[in-house]
Amino acid sequence: MTILKGLTLLLALLRAPLFLVISALALLSFYSAEIDLSVVIIEMSRLAETPVLVSLPLFIFAGSLLSESGAPNRMLTFSRIFLGWMPGGMAVITLVVCAIFTAFTGASGVTIFALGGLLLPALLKDGYTDKFSTGLITSSGSLGLLFPPSLPIILYGVVAETRIDHLFIAGILPGLLMLVLLIGYSISQSPKGQQRIIYSTKEKLAGLKEIGWELPLPFIIIGGIYGGFFVPSEAAAITALYVLIVEVFILRDIPLKKVPSIMTQSMVLYGGILVILAASMASTNYLVDQEVPTRLFEFINTYIDSKYTFLLLLNIFLLIVGAMLDIFSALVLVVPLILPIAEGYNVDPIHLGIIFLTNLQIGYCTPPVGLNLFLASYRFNKPIVELYHATLPYLGLLLITLVIITYCPWLSTFLISMWG
Amino acid sequence: MSEKSSTLGKVISLTGESVLALLLSTTLLLACAQIFMRTVTGGSLLWIDPLLRYLVLWSGLFGAVMATFKNKHIALDIASFILPDSSKNIVELIVLFFATLTAITLTWAATSFILSEIEYGGLGLFNLPTYIWNLVFPVTFAVMSVTYFFQSIQCSIRLFSKQQTKVEG
Repeated sequence: MTILKGLTLLLALLRAPLFLVISALALLSFYSAEIDLSVVIIEMSRLAETPVLVSLPLFIFAGSLLSESGAPNRMLTFSRIFLGWMPGGMAVITLVVCAIFTAFTGASGVTIFALGGLLLPALLKDGYTDKFSTGLITSSGSLGLLFPPSLPIILYGVVAETRIDHLFIAGILPGLLMLVLLIGYSISQSPKGQQRIIYSTKEKLAGLKEIGWELPLPFIIIGGIYGGFFVPSEAAAITALYVLIVEVFILRDIPLKKVPSIMTQSMVLYGGILVILAASMASTNYLVDQEVPTRLFEFINTYIDSKYTFLLLLNIFLLIVGAMLDIFSALVLVVPLILPIAEGYNVDPIHLGIIFLTNLQIGYCTPPVGLNLFLASYRFNKPIVELYHATLPYLGLLLITLVIITYCPWLSTFLISMWG
Repeated sequence: MSEKSSTLGKVISLTGESVLALLLSTTLLLACAQIFMRTVTGGSLLWIDPLLRYLVLWSGLFGAVMATFKNKHIALDIASFILPDSSKNIVELIVLFFATLTAITLTWAATSFILSEIEYGGLGLFNLPTYIWNLVFPVTFAVMSVTYFFQSIQCSIRLFSKQQTKVEG
């Protein structure tokens, strides 16, 4: 049986669908424990008891509509008008636009594809070097993952059975810290003697009018949830309906006949995530049944008694996981194992979630196999090794924020104590 | 033959697209209707929330079937970096055999779950037996099994015809 499990794991490296690899491992484990295999499906069917799951397909649909519409262009124009005056204007715009776009579209790599082609020529035109510009876009491709309504935050909430509304506000300060550090670095690297364009009030009003329909979105989500008007899953429904009406019927960016194919595209992504989640419900049940997390905690506790050393090792482990696995699989596979251990070290589940997501975000641009590196290499037609060098300074800054986020838990919990 | 199979592919793709669009639209409308009713009338329909939860499960599993058709499941692609081009087809075939076998086992496990639900399960939403709501598991896993099986056959034919060409060449 161990050989079969080993072969199954090997197939995971050879492009076998991960949900089938996890399912096969669960089936083999239950079979070897002489437990009826229908237990795998019983565990999967428990997903129908998770009310917050409804927000996943709806936010994915809203994100897909936004990325297919003219919203990325409008966001860029708007940011140019209102942030273009700053030193390092275009770099700041890149960071802010990528962060907002990733928060709405999830971290599926769509940011680099949708915005990369617009941002790279604009950065080069403003006098930034090719290395700086590609490095900036590659690292920004997953920035914003800590801001609501990012899909990985929702998925962490589902897997860890933690309040999504708390997670949404917990990510804001750490996300802003990351953004501020990267903005500071970009400003320091901006070309000297850069011409700053000041826009007239008329132009500002025109820019505001252009983005007028999309601008209320963050306020609808955050205001709606924290104003007590609706729960996160309802916020997802309102967002999806609002985006559908705006992009299809008001702005007419997307023809009505294209909507079914966008729906299918969203459901394919959602289906891919759901089956991994379902399969991991079964494998987790087996691991919990065999008391694996408890034994793992006892083992680690024999060697590490300090919470801070544990967090340091956790970060190293998660950075490796983040560079190897995509964020959705990493979350559903690792969270159930780590959560009980972290609780043993008195790590708050919300704080743990933010540490998790920060690591996985950094993993996206960590050599040698971070997803953003591959996407940017493909999008900008550059050798991947060139991108390793280009992203290094950003990687360094992101690691500094990771240390701050890990060892200052109040950064993640402060807003919850204010509004939660 | 190829024309027939491409027409069949189009029909399957169109049917899948319609089912997914219908499931997502219904989910969206019901979720919004629930908020609207709560805001306007102060009450809500008790059946909407459990129905939404089933719809989300159904749309996810049908979405996964579509991901199987389109070969869009989340996977690690380390093979394409480390393996030579010549061995890629054979690796693909091994992976497809594994996928077929696992999907068939999942279908079998799901069928066994449904059979025990028929025997011991009670009544669920709308007074329908609970097994009705869970039928989505054997159905979707069976469709995935058939899809992977046909993809394995297609891959074998490709591999065989390539080797044949090599021998003839």
